[in-house]
Amino acid sequence: MARLHYYLNIFIFLLVSTSVNGQLIKSGEKLVFAGSYNMSGLMTQLAQVTLSTENVTTAKNTYLHLSCELSTYSKWDSFFKIRDIYESYVNPQTLRPSLYKRNIDEGGWTKKEKYVFKGNTVNSTSKRKNSLETQKTFTIGGSTQDVVSLLYKVRTIDLSKLTVGQTQSLMIVFDEKQIPVTLKFMGKETISAGNLGKKECYKLSIGAKTDALKGKDKNLIWLTADQKKIPVLLQFSIPVGTGKLTLTSATGI
Amino acid sequence: MRNAYLILALFFTFLAVVFSFLPLDTIAFLPIGIAFSFSLLLLKKSIQSQKKLPKTLLFICGIITLFVVGKTVFVKDEIVEDTKFEKEKVEIKKEAQKELEEIENDLE
Repeated sequence: MARLHYYLNIFIFLLVSTSVNGQLIKSGEKLVFAGSYNMSGLMTQLAQVTLSTENVTTAKNTYLHLSCELSTYSKWDSFFKIRDIYESYVNPQTLRPSLYKRNIDEGGWTKKEKYVFKGNTVNSTSKRKNSLETQKTFTIGGSTQDVVSLLYKVRTIDLSKLTVGQTQSLMIVFDEKQIPVTLKFMGKETISAGNLGKKECYKLSIGAKTDALKGKDKNLIWLTADQKKIPVLLQFSIPVGTGKLTLTSATGI
Repeated sequence: MRNAYLILALFFTFLAVVFSFLPLDTIAFLPIGIAFSFSLLLLKKSIQSQKKLPKTLLFICGIITLFVVGKTVFVKDEIVEDTKFEKEKVEIKKEAQKELEEIENDLE
């Protein structure tokens, strides 16, 4: 159970730390991925991950709601049911987050997190099953994103000008602390992109100052080499194994 | 030696049956393959009157192989509609909207 939980966190973290776009992120976008995990040398389909965007309006503002949902396939539900939601409410123009929420239910083990962004300060609250709620306040840099909004922020980077081996540094907030993330451009490859057919993609290596990721250039993401920069494939290597996310459907892009 | 093969063949056949019913996809082929190998070795080491059991184990391996292949080919990976989860999502969204308004008021 701990292994799965660990894997899922990394899975979300990686997915979310890899999105791109030279234009503003549109409301109504929906990307569906099949998540597989390497068990005893064989890739096993485990869960569906859905990334979606929509506008949310309050009395004073409009936000872009970025949502990342993870659900185990029905065949797994009776053994280990997972229903996770990671979401971020951001400024539609700057993608700067105002609110980040994480609600996870993994085989009955639950955790709720909330990060409220106020300028360079983050107020976080965290509540695990059968534990008291904890609160923390910490400062962040001006361009720090939460893990979900980072995915979309990356999609605004112009990757066409990068040369092989060139890196980009970013900062994210994860597990109530700020973590630096490095993206390294690895070149271009043509791969299958679900309903989009075969696509030429940018290949990026993700590095983060965390024990969660293993190996050099073993955590990779492929983004379509066009203006939309849709995440198509993601491979990851963590201390407890390897896995991948494969795009199966992209709509509203 | 025959006894060792017998125990291993029985153990891995049992494991293969269990794995084939779990949602482990093709991972079930691992114990099936091992069970098949030990059953073959058991068959080789058995005299004519002892061959019934290894043949039965090989037959079971064959059946569960078909079962696993059938599951892999015909059972689709899909998400079931989860009304509890859908309800929870709506509540989370409503809650978030209130929290966003609180943030706006705090920043004023």
